[in-house]
Amino acid sequence: MLPSPFTPHFLTQLEILRLRTRKEFLGSHTGGYSSPRRGTSLEFADYRRYTPGDDLRYLDWGIYARTDRLYVKLFREEVDLFAYVFIDASASMGYPSREVKFLPATHVGLALSYVVLANHDHVKLHLLQENSRTNATPFYRGRRRMTDCVNFLALAAPDGSLQLAPVLADHLKKMRRPGKAILISDFLMPAASYQPGLNLLRAFNLDIAVIQILSRHEVDPRFPNGSLALIDSETQKEIRYQWSAEARQDYQAKLAHHNAELRSFCHQSGIHYSLYVTDRDLSDFVFATLPAIGLFK
Amino acid sequence: MEFLNLTGLFGFLALPLLLIPYLIRRKPQRLPFSSLLLFMDAGESASAKPWGRLRLPPLFYLQLLLLALLIFALTEPVFSIRPTNVAMVLDNSASMQALEDGKTRFSLAQERADALAGELGVGAKVDVYLTTPTLEKVHAVPLSPGEAAAIVGKLAPYDLGEAPIDYDTVLEQLARQHKYQRVYLLTDRPARGQSALARVITIGQPHGNTALTAFDVQRSSLVNARLDASVEVANYSERDEKIKILLKGNGAELAHREVLVGSGKTAAVAFEGIADHPSYEAEIANPDVLPVDNRRFAVAPASRNLRILGITPRPRELESLKAIPGVQIDIIAPADYDKSEHSGYGLEIYHFATPAALPRIAALFILPPESSTVVDLGQPVSNVTVSNWRDPHVLTRYVNFNLFRPAYARPLKPQTAGDIIIDSAAGPLAFASERQGVRYLTVGFDPFPYLGRDNLPMSVFTLNLLDWFFDSRGGKSQATGEAIFLGKVQQGDQIVLPGGKKLSITPGAGFFGGAFYQGIYQLTHGGERQLFARNLRDPGESDLRTPAPVAIGGDSPNGASASVLFSFWPYLLIASLALLLLEWFLSPRMAFLKSSRAPARAAQRL
Repeated sequence: MLPSPFTPHFLTQLEILRLRTRKEFLGSHTGGYSSPRRGTSLEFADYRRYTPGDDLRYLDWGIYARTDRLYVKLFREEVDLFAYVFIDASASMGYPSREVKFLPATHVGLALSYVVLANHDHVKLHLLQENSRTNATPFYRGRRRMTDCVNFLALAAPDGSLQLAPVLADHLKKMRRPGKAILISDFLMPAASYQPGLNLLRAFNLDIAVIQILSRHEVDPRFPNGSLALIDSETQKEIRYQWSAEARQDYQAKLAHHNAELRSFCHQSGIHYSLYVTDRDLSDFVFATLPAIGLFK
Repeated sequence: MEFLNLTGLFGFLALPLLLIPYLIRRKPQRLPFSSLLLFMDAGESASAKPWGRLRLPPLFYLQLLLLALLIFALTEPVFSIRPTNVAMVLDNSASMQALEDGKTRFSLAQERADALAGELGVGAKVDVYLTTPTLEKVHAVPLSPGEAAAIVGKLAPYDLGEAPIDYDTVLEQLARQHKYQRVYLLTDRPARGQSALARVITIGQPHGNTALTAFDVQRSSLVNARLDASVEVANYSERDEKIKILLKGNGAELAHREVLVGSGKTAAVAFEGIADHPSYEAEIANPDVLPVDNRRFAVAPASRNLRILGITPRPRELESLKAIPGVQIDIIAPADYDKSEHSGYGLEIYHFATPAALPRIAALFILPPESSTVVDLGQPVSNVTVSNWRDPHVLTRYVNFNLFRPAYARPLKPQTAGDIIIDSAAGPLAFASERQGVRYLTVGFDPFPYLGRDNLPMSVFTLNLLDWFFDSRGGKSQATGEAIFLGKVQQGDQIVLPGGKKLSITPGAGFFGGAFYQGIYQLTHGGERQLFARNLRDPGESDLRTPAPVAIGGDSPNGASASVLFSFWPYLLIASLALLLLEWFLSPRMAFLKSSRAPARAAQRL
C-alpha cells in the first residue's frame, strides 16, 4: 500500500515528469535519454561519408545534389536511465521522530523513484547506514515495482552514525552503470565529511542531485529557555547549552551558514541542490521546487 | 532627604541576593537533537558545577529596580524642610555623665544640640527641656537658636535615675501642645524606630562599668556604740573585675578592701568596728567610664541619745521607757502639744492621743481615739491572737508571737497605703507607713508600760520599734531626688550642698527638694548641724551595657509636622507596584517576542 501522499492524482502528476540529466549515459535498452552512441532516434546528431554497406535510407540526398558527394545522416541513440536514490538512514534522520523527518525523506525518494519507474527507466534505492553498509534494492523498472520500493523503505529505520564517504564508497563498489544519483540527507555533518562523499559520486561520472531534508524542529528549535543538556542522536555525546532567544538566533544563523556552504559547494560542483523542510507539502516541493532547480525536464 | 526607618537601609544589602536565581545552575533538561554540529562552538561540556555563567536578561534590571524601589520605600524617605519651631529634650540622667573618649555624654549632647541649633534658621524658636527629675522646660519663653545653645551649654546632668517616660507618647503630646515642628531627644539610649516628628539622637556606646550599689553604716544594736559598714559592689562588664574599695570618714581613708566580682554579679564587703565620724564615703579606686556611681555616701547612725516626745493622757506608762538605756523621753498632755516647743525630738509617741495633722517627724500612734484622722479602729477584742506578721522585718525580729497576746486590742482599718506588720483574725494590729521619708507606725494595742523581762515579747517589740524609728541601721542613705525634710525652719537656717554651695532656707519651707546630686547635705538649724546622705540609686543608670531603647513607633503627623516633611515613600511604593505590573506583563511577552521574531529571520536566511 502506498503512503498517504501518493494519491492517484499525485501519481498521475508524477507520471508527466521526467528526470533531466546533464550527462549522456550508456543505457541498456532504448529509452528516452541521450546516449553518447549514435543510434536510430529521431534526433539528428551528425553526418558521415557514405561507406558501402550503409543503409541507403539515411543518405542525405540534398547534400548529394549540391555537392555530388554521398553522406549519411547519423542520429543519437536514446537509451534508458539508471537512477540511484541514496537515502541517509542515520539516526539524525529520525529526529524528532521517524514520521516527521525520515518518512518525508523516503516520500521524496519514492516520488523520484516513481518518476523513473513511470518512464520505464531503472531505479535502485540505497539506504546509507553505518551498520548495514550495502543495504540497497536491485534495479527496479516499471511502475508496478513501486510497491517493492515502498516495502523496502517501509522496513528501514534510521539508526547509527554516518560517515558519508566510506558508506557511499561501499555502495558504489557494486555500481556498473553510470546514471543519475540523487542523495537525500540532512547533511548535518561537517563539510569535511560530506564533500568527499559528493566528490566520490562525481568521480563515478554520476549526474548528482542533492536534496537536503530538515525538520521544522531543526530549522527552528523550540527548546525551553534555560540550561539544557543536548544529546547528539548519532554519537550520544552530551553538551550543556544555555538556551535563550539569543541562542536560538545564533543557532539559526549557523544553520543558514552551513546550508549556504553546502549549496555553494553543490553549485561549484555541478550538483543540483534543494532544501526540503518536512512540514512543507510534498507535491508543492516536487512540482514547484525540483523543476525549478532543473531536476525534471 | 531623611529616612524615618534607617534600619530599612540594611535591606539594600539584600539586593545581591537577586543574582542567586540567575547564578544557580538548574539541573539541565536532557534533550536529544539530531546533531550537535551547530552547537559545538557555544556549548560547554557537561559538568557538575552548581553555578553557571551569569546571564543577566533585561528583565533582571527591571526586577533590580523594582526591589530597590521597594527597599527605598521601606526606609520611609522624607524630604524635610527646615523647621522653625523646635524642642530639644536633653537626657540629663546620671548615665549621661559616662565618659566617651574623655568627654561626658552630656557634653557631647550639648555639642550636638549646639550643632542642631546652628542648622536652624535665624527666625526659628527653640525650647529646651530636661528629662530628669521630670520632663520640664528649663526656661519660660521661646529662645532663638543662639540663646538655646547658650542655655544648653550651661546645663549639667543630675545624679538621678531617668524618670520612666513613654517618649513615644510624651514627645508627640509635647509637639501637639506647643505646635513643635520637630522634637529632638538627645539621649544615651538607642532609638528603635523614628517618626516624622520626633528624632532620637543617640549619644555614646555600650560600655562595661563597675558601681557601688549600696553603702550602709550601722550600729550593731540600738545602744551599741560599735559601727559597722557594708558596701555592695556590682560588676556590669563582660569580664570579672578585681575591685578595690576605699572607706573614708570625713575625707580620710579608714580602710580598704579588694574583692573579685564576677561578670554581671554583685559582691558585699563589710567593714567592722570603724571609727566614729559624722559622714562616710565608700569609693571604688579603679577608674571606669562612669565616676558618679563609684562613690556612695552615708552619715553616722542617729545619736544614741534618743529624744522622744510623749503625748499622752496616761504619762505613767510612757515613763517606763526611761528604763531603756539612752532613751530620753519628755511627756506632755495632748492639750499642751500646741503650747510647747517640740523641736529636736527624734520621735513623737501619741499614746491614746492624735495630732491635728500628721507630724513632720517619725511618730508612733498607740490606740488613737475615735476622732483620729490617722486611722479608723475596729471593735475592741481581748487576748487577741496574732495570726500573721511580716518576716523578716525590723519590727518583728526576735518577737515570739506565740506568747505575744495583747490583753486589749482594737483592730486597725488603714485608710492609707502602707504595710500591715502584725495581723490577727480580727484585723491588723500594727500598720507601718512612710511618707516623704518619715516613718509612722500605728498599733492597735498598748505596748506600754515597758516591763523588760517581765513581758519579754512586748519588750522585744518595743525595742524593735525604737530601733526602727531611730533606725540604728540609720547611716542608710536615701536616693538622690528625695526631699530633705527641714522641720521647723528659723531665720538664718541654711543648707550646704555637696559641692559646698550654701543655700539659705526661707522660713516656712517644709523640705528641700533640690537634692539632685549625690553627697552629704548639711542642714544648719540654729546652732545644730544635721547631715543627710543622698546617693544615686538606680542600677539602670550604672549598667551601660545594654540600655533600654527608646521606642518611637507611631507616626501620626499633625498639621505642623506635615508642613516640614514631605513623605514620598507612598509614591515609591506605587511606582514599584507599577514596575511589578510591568514586569508581570513583560516577562512572558518578551520571551514570546524573541521566539516569534527569530524564526522569521531564520526563514529569511534559509
